[in-house]
Amino acid sequence: MISVADLLTNNRLPSNYFAAETYVRSELELGLLENRRGDRLLAMPETLVQAIYSGLDKETGQASRLVLYNCGRWWGKNFYARFCEELTDYYKTPIADMAMGEFIQYLQQCWIVHGWGKFNIDRTASHQGFLTIETWNSPFAAHAPKSDRPICFLDAGIFSAFFSQLSGRELDCIQTTCESLGADRNRFILGLAERLKPAESMVEKQLPHEEIIQKLTDN
Amino acid sequence: MHPQIAAIFEEAESRYLKAEELKTLSHYVDSLPERLEAYRQLQEKELDVMQVVADRLQDGFPQEDTQMLERSIKNALLMLRYCALAMLLDNEFFVKERLLSWLRSTQQTYNTQTIDATLHKLLNLQLSQALSSQQMSLLKPLLNLAQTALLEQ
Repeated sequence: MISVADLLTNNRLPSNYFAAETYVRSELELGLLENRRGDRLLAMPETLVQAIYSGLDKETGQASRLVLYNCGRWWGKNFYARFCEELTDYYKTPIADMAMGEFIQYLQQCWIVHGWGKFNIDRTASHQGFLTIETWNSPFAAHAPKSDRPICFLDAGIFSAFFSQLSGRELDCIQTTCESLGADRNRFILGLAERLKPAESMVEKQLPHEEIIQKLTDN
Repeated sequence: MHPQIAAIFEEAESRYLKAEELKTLSHYVDSLPERLEAYRQLQEKELDVMQVVADRLQDGFPQEDTQMLERSIKNALLMLRYCALAMLLDNEFFVKERLLSWLRSTQQTYNTQTIDATLHKLLNLQLSQALSSQQMSLLKPLLNLAQTALLEQ
């Protein structure tokens, strides 16, 4: 027998914590953007995103990919901690007790409200130890410099750190398709470093995503 | 606030409201006591209505995992609360944007359409018994909006 009263917490039903109308707040006179907890938010103009790419390229050349990836790792690590803290505070449920589907739904909403585009997880190859993350409308792809390879190293670093913390295993991340190269979405494969290693040369050879996943799971 | 009324106030920053604008405003204000009463009724009867729905839903899906049923009931409560607020403020935005963007993805994640379809029928039946026909006519368009969008998927 289901008791409806017991389904409510203090007669409250938590819904979308990341709803844009309630999540982002501003103090226009102080020039501040904040989230609903009062944490500062940073608005990044397109020019700044472009300048980060071109500045890094001038300063570090080829190494800029690694720099971006490592910045993403740092960002992802802190982002994971903040994200979990906010979820636990609002939904009053420890992360460990949340269903994976719910957790991912919260992450998708969080992605949208921060203006990072849309986000999806494809678990088709999860039994073989690989997850595919898909993003689209990504500002980091939209303002990337022209290249013949996927360019979202910052995002790859974020995913690597975020999902490493979530799974408790050290995961690497590699991008296989990129909006900046005309793909319909950005695809990233997550997996253990040594198992993901062969994908690097496959991306260099510009193999399609499905083929890369197929070869990785055949190994 | 109803978007049309919000627009009127924005327009009227430096002038008095025109006759037809005042008419729109007074139409909403006149309907407010009724909306408030319907809202109060819903608030008061929500648990009883939903408990009957939950009991019948469980009878209809005896083999179903209780967690799935509970999730659908929680979502229906959320739907009802958003529809109530949208009804009070005469603003579909709460249903169209706030509620549906959220519930659609929950529903896709857990594939609860079949349960939800039955639940909505049970809920509508209970609501029509708990509210007066006038109150129901205020709530119904919003419920329809939400339910149609959720079951269309």
